[in-house]
Amino acid sequence: MLVRFWGTRGSLAVAQTAGAIRGKIARALVAAGGRGFADTAEAEAFVDRELDFATGGTYGGATTCVEIEGGDGSFIVCDMGTGLREFGIDAFRRCAAGHERTYHFFMSHLHWDHIGGFPFFGPAFDPNAHIVIHSGHADAEQALRRQQEEISFPVAFDWLRAKIEFRTLAPGETYRIGGLDVEVMEQHHSHKSYGYRFTDDAGKTAIFSTDSEHKIDSMEGEADVAHFFRDADLVICDTMYSLADAVSMKEDWGHSSNIVAIDLCHEAEAKRLALFHHEPIYSDDDIQRMHQESIRYEELTRRETPLEVLCAYDGLEVRL
Amino acid sequence: MIWSEEARDGAIVAAPRGKIDESTAQDFGASLEGAVGRAADAAARLVIDCSGIDYMSSRGLRALTLAKRKADGSAVTIVLAAPNGVAREILAISRYDKLFGVTETVEAALTA
Ligand SMILES: [Zn+2]
Ligand SMILES: [Zn+2]
Repeated sequence: MLVRFWGTRGSLAVAQTAGAIRGKIARALVAAGGRGFADTAEAEAFVDRELDFATGGTYGGATTCVEIEGGDGSFIVCDMGTGLREFGIDAFRRCAAGHERTYHFFMSHLHWDHIGGFPFFGPAFDPNAHIVIHSGHADAEQALRRQQEEISFPVAFDWLRAKIEFRTLAPGETYRIGGLDVEVMEQHHSHKSYGYRFTDDAGKTAIFSTDSEHKIDSMEGEADVAHFFRDADLVICDTMYSLADAVSMKEDWGHSSNIVAIDLCHEAEAKRLALFHHEPIYSDDDIQRMHQESIRYEELTRRETPLEVLCAYDGLEVRL
Repeated sequence: MIWSEEARDGAIVAAPRGKIDESTAQDFGASLEGAVGRAADAAARLVIDCSGIDYMSSRGLRALTLAKRKADGSAVTIVLAAPNGVAREILAISRYDKLFGVTETVEAALTA
């Protein structure tokens, strides 16, 4: 199974400013300390080896969209955040090389940051494409149609050329979709959200659990969440806020924290966690710090099995 | 998790010992809630002597938040005293050091 992140930001898409890029270049030049590089490849090797990620790269700013490879050859995509546009461009390239034109989408929920990429999803205009949108919500079609009404967007949903279907999934069932076993879990979030558990035929498991608040007054219910995450090879988890923010000022905003995610993954004996749905006001330095602190918290609270803590960024690929 | 408690210098000083994670957080929370009640009755502050806590996961931290809500409602102040290095780091990573007063020693918590 291969998991590819096309969008990892929460709530609102963001972009790097000129000032932020300037700061990265200045730090890189200082780190180079006057060294010369024969060519771009040599300079890139320096970036990879010697610069931290927040200096030599960026976590990106597209909202949530995650692709899973490893099913029956159809595309499998979680959420339609603004990262979906890039995925669509890449899908055209792959289809030209012979990839099947079936797309299975799995929707965490229908807030803007999770559907806003669909009007810019090129394959929706491909008459040979078959798009199946799976959701725990029965009103997924309404949400997607409404965002393409004339008041919001110039191209109506009915003008899309692909064959588009909507299917509502129920928690507690195991479905066979796109060559994967898929389970669904209801989560706490405004208008609800749903988590998905994907298992391939080799037994590899990835969990997509975003926009999920683990409420302080129903902590006993977390055993069910840990069970849903059990033995997963990768858990993609909403880690938008610090725990202190999640239980105070931002309580009921529908999101979780890095340390609750780590606790749940420890309890579930999961192998890897990807921090996800990054706070839009965070700079790359802020996200990198949150990642380092998360790794440290995992060390401090580790049981027998270590948990690898990754920080998702636009473009990250994780092979399970 | 073992809980002990004493009244001292006009405060209730509670000393939980051991690990506080999902297996012990419920006991920890119930003990905390009881201690908040006794502190309210005595119009005293509640000092949690954290020196015996090996580590505290998010469950324990969130039990502290539930206790703080009850304490705020009855004008009781909760102070976290003498956390070990690990607990101190966890308080910083979770930003709980911004929600609670944290002191180096129990004595400092009594006079703070
Ligand atoms: Zn969101
Ligand atoms: Zn949402």
